Amino acid sequence: MKKILITAAIAASMFSATGYAETVRIGTEGAYAPWNFVDDSGKLAGYEIDLGNALCDAAGIKCEFVANEWDSIIPNLVAGNYDAIMAGMSITDERKQTIDFSEEYYPASPSLYAASAGASFDFDNLKGVKVGVQGATIQADYAKEQLGANNDILSYETADQSVADLVAGNIDVLLADGDFLKPVVDGSGGALGFVGPEVRIGGGVGIGMRKNDSDLQANMAKALEKLKADGTVDKLIKEYFENGPFYSN
Amino acid sequence: MFEWLSNNAVIQDIAILAKPAMFNIYFALASIPLGFPIAVALALGKNSKNYFVSNICRGYIYAFRGSPLFIQFFMFYSIALSMNRAYWKPWGIDDIVLHPLFLGPLVLVFNTSAYAAEIFYGSLRTVSKGETEAAKAVGMSQWQTFRSVTWPNMIRLAWPAYTNEVIFLFHSTAIVYFTLPVINEQKDLMNMAGELFERDYNIFLHFSVAALYFLAISVVIFFIAGLINSRLNRHLHNGNNVKIKFKPNYIR
Amino acid sequence: MIETLPHWFTSLIGEDWTAKLDYITNGKHLLWYASFRFTLIAAFGGAVLVVFFGLLGASLKQSRFWPFKAIGDLYTTIIRGVPDVLFFLFFPLAFEQTVEYFSAQSSCTADELAQTGVWPPCDAAQWYLTQNEYLILACVSFGIIYGAFAANVIHGAMSAVPKGQLEAAASYGFSPRQVYWRFQVRQMWVYALPGLSNVWMLLLKATSFLSLLQIADIVLWAERLGAPNYFARVGPIHPDWRWKYYLVLFLFYILMTMLSERFFEKLQARASRGMQLANS
Repeated sequence: MKKILITAAIAASMFSATGYAETVRIGTEGAYAPWNFVDDSGKLAGYEIDLGNALCDAAGIKCEFVANEWDSIIPNLVAGNYDAIMAGMSITDERKQTIDFSEEYYPASPSLYAASAGASFDFDNLKGVKVGVQGATIQADYAKEQLGANNDILSYETADQSVADLVAGNIDVLLADGDFLKPVVDGSGGALGFVGPEVRIGGGVGIGMRKNDSDLQANMAKALEKLKADGTVDKLIKEYFENGPFYSN
Repeated sequence: MFEWLSNNAVIQDIAILAKPAMFNIYFALASIPLGFPIAVALALGKNSKNYFVSNICRGYIYAFRGSPLFIQFFMFYSIALSMNRAYWKPWGIDDIVLHPLFLGPLVLVFNTSAYAAEIFYGSLRTVSKGETEAAKAVGMSQWQTFRSVTWPNMIRLAWPAYTNEVIFLFHSTAIVYFTLPVINEQKDLMNMAGELFERDYNIFLHFSVAALYFLAISVVIFFIAGLINSRLNRHLHNGNNVKIKFKPNYIR
Repeated sequence: MIETLPHWFTSLIGEDWTAKLDYITNGKHLLWYASFRFTLIAAFGGAVLVVFFGLLGASLKQSRFWPFKAIGDLYTTIIRGVPDVLFFLFFPLAFEQTVEYFSAQSSCTADELAQTGVWPPCDAAQWYLTQNEYLILACVSFGIIYGAFAANVIHGAMSAVPKGQLEAAASYGFSPRQVYWRFQVRQMWVYALPGLSNVWMLLLKATSFLSLLQIADIVLWAERLGAPNYFARVGPIHPDWRWKYYLVLFLFYILMTMLSERFFEKLQARASRGMQLANS
């Protein structure tokens, strides 16, 4: 439904637009911690917000972040509502048909299953289990194809909703990006745990840009290379994910 | 001829949306049988001389008519969710309670019973005093008076407005899946129309066909209600019986 | 926010309540409170357009020129035969696509126009809509939807105006148009008011749909604020609190309904001064 619906949604109330032409607008979801979220003070924050600002500084361009709901984030990039996506989006062949990606700024990491602590499932032969996913994600496609025949797949509009239903016990397992789930499981005070195998789907996370936007693509590529080499990317990954280093020595 | 039919985009959409339409019909059909008696009870309660009963019913009707169904859906889903581990799971009914095919009709029942109650309450007040007094005069008990005078008149007078409420209820089923999770392929008209739209961005085609379904089913509801209405009014031969029209008083 | 409060006050209410007060006045909550403006703008902006479309629809329905009458009847029947939320989503998108269609005819190449499954055909035809423009389109949607209801109310109220008054006006030499606008429409309001207050209640409740157009309204923020949080950097760690926020919205709408009722009662009393109405 919301695919083409355009929005400056949250952003409009948070940022004052300063002329579209010279400012690069970056679309993000704002509800996918630690990648991107709205913090207590009501501002967009997270790994991608810090990284995006650092990239724009390095490239010498002015940037602003725009919040957009996840399920319409690619169509709205194509539609020109913003110029880049930094929203924890994995690089996949399917998405590459529509948009171009920069090099990854977070390495490919597995998707994981989370469940109530102590629960166990026979993942080789999963049957009759309620599996939660966020709609329009690589995990949703995977769950539908691999698990859909014998299990119930519940799809949610936002990642937060799927977590709420997992905690409340309405779904047995939640399949989501591991780096999103880790802080959830850690912060749940022992209520949640990881189960089953790692699911290796999707590539690393990259900046999505329009196919014909070669100027921006070149600028971003150069800036990303620089920040990877000087350790800025690793420093931010360490700060938000307690992971790495991946790109500098 | 057949080829034209199967290649026609409108026909294709009608075929694709047939199954989703069943979900909307289901939501409405599942909530009417429960919503109707609760509404009657609430109307009688509001009309009751008991201060306590009357005010509870009045408050319930006011709250559910005074707030959006959309919010009611969000609220009841999150409340039901937060009670899951404490109640539904230990009782072994969590798979039922939180299932959209149960929770959807449940919230619709809460909602429609309030609207219908207000309609019945209104007609209850207009059942003519003369008739009930005549019933008492011939020695009918309170229950007999209710059964043979108040009740049939109340339903007869309320019927045209209740028909409108049923159509409204059917339209309300469009927002069930805006708040509840979609399980597997259990999608309603709005889900499916949205999905079709995301494929080719042809809003005019897909939303019009979905609208056509709503319109057509509304007309069917209307037709059935009209038949019942003429039955309710069959004793009135003077030609002044209340006819339902597809336009007036279409206000909830 | 909390720092600006005097010390005696915070010590009076205790640490627990100070922390709570601090929480519900943080930036994220302030954004939520501020987003109530969208709801109010949509309601009042929608109401103005409802009256406009209502008058238009009623005039069409009353027209003696049959095509106008047919259009009026079709408008009110179709809109009310379809769920409000469906039209609410349909109209802004359809409007946007229509504008884009016409700009595509002039700015895209023939090849681009011929492709399917892509919209708009080329970047040049893209019409960028901001949140404020969506809000305007939402108001227009409301105007069209509830204007159809209002048209029926107004149409009914028009025929309730005593014929004698209109005939008297005509005999004084007013033209039919003058009789219509200066007498029938002016007199009609008193009869239409109860019905219009019903339409306002419908419109008020429909403002909860704004988030479906991705307007960052009260419903969207309620969900964001209430969603369970397990990441300290986002804010205090808490379980699913959404029902509390939805409860606030539930009460907000009931309060708005109460205020509206009071307002319309006063208005009705004022409007019926000097009139003998059976039901007043």
